[in-house]
Amino acid sequence: MAEREEWEPKILAFCCNWCSYAGADAAGLERRQVPPTIRVIRVMCSGRIDPAFVLMGLLEGADAVLVTGCHIGDCHYVDANYKTRNRYEFLNEFVDELGLEPERLWLRWISASEGSLFAEMVREVTEKIKRIGPSPLRSEWKK
Amino acid sequence: MEEVKAKMNSKYYLAWAKDEGIRKKGANGGFVTATLVSALENDFIDVALVVRKKSVYEGIPVLTSDAEVVKECAGSLHGAPINLTKYVVEHAAKKRIGLPTKPCDARGIIEQAKRRQVSLENVFMIGLNCGATLHPLRMREIASYYALDPDSVVREEIKEGKIFLVSEEEGEEKEKWMKIDELEAKGYGRRDACKSCITKIPTMADLACGIWGSNDEKKTFVEVCSEKGGAIFENAVDSGYVEIEEAPEKGIETRQKKEAGMQKRAASWKEKMDEVSGLSRSERFEFYVDALKNCIHCGACKAVCPVCACEEDAKCLEMNDERDSYAISMYNVLRIFHLMDSCIHCGQCEDVCPVDIPLTLIQRRFSERMQHRLRYTPGMDVMEKPPLYETELRWSAKAE
Repeated sequence: MAEREEWEPKILAFCCNWCSYAGADAAGLERRQVPPTIRVIRVMCSGRIDPAFVLMGLLEGADAVLVTGCHIGDCHYVDANYKTRNRYEFLNEFVDELGLEPERLWLRWISASEGSLFAEMVREVTEKIKRIGPSPLRSEWKK
Repeated sequence: MEEVKAKMNSKYYLAWAKDEGIRKKGANGGFVTATLVSALENDFIDVALVVRKKSVYEGIPVLTSDAEVVKECAGSLHGAPINLTKYVVEHAAKKRIGLPTKPCDARGIIEQAKRRQVSLENVFMIGLNCGATLHPLRMREIASYYALDPDSVVREEIKEGKIFLVSEEEGEEKEKWMKIDELEAKGYGRRDACKSCITKIPTMADLACGIWGSNDEKKTFVEVCSEKGGAIFENAVDSGYVEIEEAPEKGIETRQKKEAGMQKRAASWKEKMDEVSGLSRSERFEFYVDALKNCIHCGACKAVCPVCACEEDAKCLEMNDERDSYAISMYNVLRIFHLMDSCIHCGQCEDVCPVDIPLTLIQRRFSERMQHRLRYTPGMDVMEKPPLYETELRWSAKAE
């Protein structure tokens, strides 16, 4: 197998069904360039994202995990993204204390019409992760 | 009777058991035992949960409605660092329980009450001031260090910053003591969690009792901390089990000073024992992975944890699969994560860990920074919900 020229990070993104997943869709419709580093998991609401999912993603070897949802106040389920924000604060402290770079965890609010923002976010994350390198949690045989 | 009622308007008292036997057996006048006995006899509680001394290294929790058994269990026991929370949770649904609690017992019970595992109406917590407990194995080491035979130690006592051990060999009693500070400088001494604990007076319990602030070794300084506590205290006095006098003004001050001094020492210990704080980010990561890779997933830390209320179908057990071969297992990651807002730093997890993972330090590192940011102290007030349950975090709900 030919050796890859550049290391490509693997980024896990949780997108809520009503806003950010549609936002990702819009990015495609608008023919925006989205780096192929991203793996999207659709959930019905960002409030469904258990911190355990994020932690498991990191343990599985994801170089970064994106948590995305509707803007505060726009949640399809009234206030569930407040809970997302709450959990993100905990996750952030956890990741920082564990000794992972804080850049490995992201929380962004993206609405259904913000395709450009979605593409831009993925580019930004990919660039940052390329700079800091692969996650130390990635096991030897998954590299 | 009127006279007694008139006396009951203050918050602080000196109290002791009227019964000669209890007074003699109890550590500081037998107030706690006498109060429990009177609460049992006057139907405030159905059962008392006490720790029966088997040896200086071993105590067995006993649930009893027999006042004689309660009297038998009087006296302090530093070498059996058990947390009674889970026993209370198991039985308080059906029975009203009265028990003596260290600060970490009381905090654990309050955390369980927040999680609806126990109703505080059914639990009467008689708080005991707590300087420290000792791990039984460490206590044996101290005995050897004192040149005593660990198996023949019959009594222990922590008084005025000294650890006393009394052994009985061939009918001859030998007493040895040393200052805790000196012992700890040599690596012997209290549990890590106790060394760095700053909750010394259990004001979150119903009554807070202890020797600090008392002017007599056989009188207990009592603070009434809740209505419920006031009720059993009044009952104990009314029914003639306990005698009281007004606490001396100076005593209240001494007690506060004593606590402040211990807190200061705890803070310096915390700094000294924190081997992670000087490390860089990647070294810290290495340290945690290295420490937790020994885990054999026996589940003992979860079973004993006074805060955890998830029982068998807990997320940390369900989502854990040892075949995953993660750098840190899901079990450990989730347990640490879930305790970030509610760990009370009791150190039970480290005590039971069969592979000696420094869990006290790890849990403290993770939870303390979050609790500090949230200005939230778990186990103090049953009305304060754990922040992880909240819809919105209130970063600045309380002033600095």
